[in-house]
Formats: sequence, C-alpha cells, structure tokens
Amino acid sequence: MDLHTEMILAEYDAKLPLVERLQKVVKSTLTDAIDRNGLVVTAVKTRLKTRDSLEGKLALKGNKYHSLSDITDILGARVITFYTDDVDRIAAMAEKLFDIDWENSVDKRRLHDTDSFGYNSLHYICRLPKSVIDDPELNDIRFELQLRTTLQHAWASINHDIGYKTGVEIPREYLRQINRLAGILEMADDEFSRIRTEITDYRRRVHQLVQNGQLSEVQLDGDTFSSYLKARPFDSLNRRIAAINQAEIQEVPLTNYLGVFKAFGCNTLGDIDQLKKRYAEDAYTLARHQLGNTDLDIISSSVGIQNICIVCILAQGGGKIGLIRLFNALNGENEQNSLLADLTYEQAKNLPFMSK
Amino acid sequence: MTTTITNNGNQIIAAFAGRLDTAAAVQTAEDIKPLLEVSGKEIILDCTELEYISSSGLRIFLTVRKDAAAHGCKVIVRNINADIRQVFVMTGFVSLFEIQ
Repeated sequence: MDLHTEMILAEYDAKLPLVERLQKVVKSTLTDAIDRNGLVVTAVKTRLKTRDSLEGKLALKGNKYHSLSDITDILGARVITFYTDDVDRIAAMAEKLFDIDWENSVDKRRLHDTDSFGYNSLHYICRLPKSVIDDPELNDIRFELQLRTTLQHAWASINHDIGYKTGVEIPREYLRQINRLAGILEMADDEFSRIRTEITDYRRRVHQLVQNGQLSEVQLDGDTFSSYLKARPFDSLNRRIAAINQAEIQEVPLTNYLGVFKAFGCNTLGDIDQLKKRYAEDAYTLARHQLGNTDLDIISSSVGIQNICIVCILAQGGGKIGLIRLFNALNGENEQNSLLADLTYEQAKNLPFMSK
Repeated sequence: MTTTITNNGNQIIAAFAGRLDTAAAVQTAEDIKPLLEVSGKEIILDCTELEYISSSGLRIFLTVRKDAAAHGCKVIVRNINADIRQVFVMTGFVSLFEIQ
C-alpha cells in the first residue's frame, strides 16, 4: 500500500464517526420529506463505504483523489421508487432539501445513445445545507444520492452480481443479453407509469360522473362503488332512521355491500341509485317499526343500506331464503344467519311493502 | 350482571351473564378492560347467559371492536338470544360483528 492510500485511509478512520452521524441525518431527512410529500417508495437506504471497499477503489483509481473529500460516495443514500415519474418527483424534492453539486451529478438515464440500454439511475452529489442542520463539519461532507425505480434497481443489482462478484470478465454475447433486459425493463417501467396514469384518470372521470349524478354511465366495480360511497348516498336515510330515537350514528365501512348489489343484478351505480330511490321510504318504515318502541339510541351507518337490501329482497318475493343469502354475503355463512332471517322476516311481514 | 374473562390459548373469552343495561354498563366497562390490552388474539364475547343488552351495552361491544381492530384482533359474538339478535339487526350492528 502506498503512502497516499495510507493517508486517505487514516483520514477515513478519523472521519468515520462524523460520517456515521451524517448518515443518520440524511436518512431521517429523506424519510421525513418523502412522508411529508405523500410519496410512497419501495425503500430508502443508506450505506457507508467500508474500509476494504475504499482501499479497493484507491488501488484502482487512487491518483484521481487528493484527499478523502474528493471521494463523494463514502456515504451513499438510495431511494427506490415504484414508478419512473416518482424518480423525478424525489429528485425535485432532493433539490430543495440538499445543496446539489451539479458539476459532479449525473443523470445516467440520459447518457445512453438511442440504440443502447443499460444502467439507469439519477445520481446527485449533495451536501446538507444549514437549513437542515447547522453544523459546519457535517455541512462540508459530500454524499451521493441515487434515485432509481424498483426495476432499475433489480437490473443494477443482478448486473452487479453477475458482472463484478465473479471477478471474471463476461463474454460480449452475455453482456448484450443483460443489456437487452435493461431495455425490456425500461419498457416495463414506462408501462407501469402509463397504467398508473390511466387508472388515476379513470378514477377522476368516475369521481366526476358521481359528482354530476351521471351514475348510469358508471359500471359497478370495487373502485366505482368506493367512489359512490364517498358521496355518502345513504346519509340522509341514516339520519332519518337515527331521528326515530335521537340515536348517534357509528360509522362503519359499507364496501361489503358490493357483492349484494351485484347479486341483485346491478351493473351500474345508477342501478344502485334506482334501488335506493325505490326502497328508501320502505327501508325507513322498517326501521321505524323495529326501533320505534325501543330506547336504542345508537345505530351503525350500515342500517340504511341494510334495510334497503332487506326491503328489496322481501318486496321482490325473495322471502327468508333471500334474507339468509343477504346475511351470508355480509357476515359469512353461519347457522345464525337463518335465525337472523327468521327474525327479520317476522318483523317485516305485516309492513306495506310486503303486499306491493 | 357479571363478566368473567378467561384466557384460552389464542382466544380470550369474556362471558357475560345477566342484563347489560345502563346501570350495569359502568361496572362492565371496567370488567372488560383486559380485552382492550390484548393483541393478535381472537376475542370471544360469549353471550350464552346474557339476557338483555341496551345501547350502553352496545357501546361497550363497540369499544371492544374498535380496540381489537387497532390491535389486530378479531371479535366474535357467540350465542346471542333472540332478543339480542333483534337488537343487532335493528341497529345495523349485525354487520359489525361476526355472530356465531
């Protein structure tokens, strides 16, 4: 080992505690900012270059570095995202968080010729600004921030494993095959981003249609049913029912009614809305008949939708069997559901909607 | 009104006996506190000997359910009589609990 290498390694040993402190600050700064911006990522990782790794690097390109501060990846941070768009979002976030050394930063995604594929990542060389932590020693150290997608990370990791771990030069034909895969993954990344954008557009369109009351144009599925429920279509009925005994309403999820409405033959949100309009009054009558002579002053927000379903079944002649199917769909198959159905049928049997 | 709590491996069972009305609710809320501290278990609300439940009783059941959900526990209401079953249907609580 030459004197120059020994000097840099001694500097590394001396500064290691400081870089370890920097590592903690960088990781928490990144994690907090990602949460604050509502971004979801696969991972936020940091690593310190080991002494052995540094020694190896110096053996290869030692002349390039005058001192430890010339080596910008002693601390490396990496954010792995799900989507390519998010790499740019995190990059924008990092530009606000850190001081970027633009001269030494590189967007490897833009380095490829039109006919070449391979390593894709955005590398920023950064410093912590005083606005994050006012500590001249920490503010002075540069670190590397790598931003890439999960697929880019997978390719880079496998490429590293195959290319470097063995220490044997890879024949050109295999390198070509590995790089070919980078092209496929680039396409897959673009497709995932495109699909996400289309789903977001679809949800926005559905939300708009629900807002505008154009429910018959919206096909019924889990996504659209959730949008429909966000508009709180059963609140008015629930409030009427609650008023019977001045009851409080406990909020519960209603998404489990999707299967029930599908079983009723509803194909669009408009079909559900029709059922609601048709049976809301009878659902209220059923509730008044049940609750009117009790002092129960707590109900769940499912009572309105539940009574609409009960009335719908009974008014269409579904009888006890229909009610058992309803309770099976809501509560899972269970012997108690038959008793619940008997009881509900007895309560409802003399109400006007039974003879419609 | 009595509440007996027993641990049975992965289950914790609260057996209620008597009338869970407003008068009994304060003591019952105290008695079920051990249920609010468990995590990762199945909580059985055994109603075999429970004769009646009022709104105050439903609120206690609701507290157990909310706390259980936060701690990754499942709540099962077992052996309710016809009157209580009626209360569960009328209030919509029937879709809040697994009833066995």
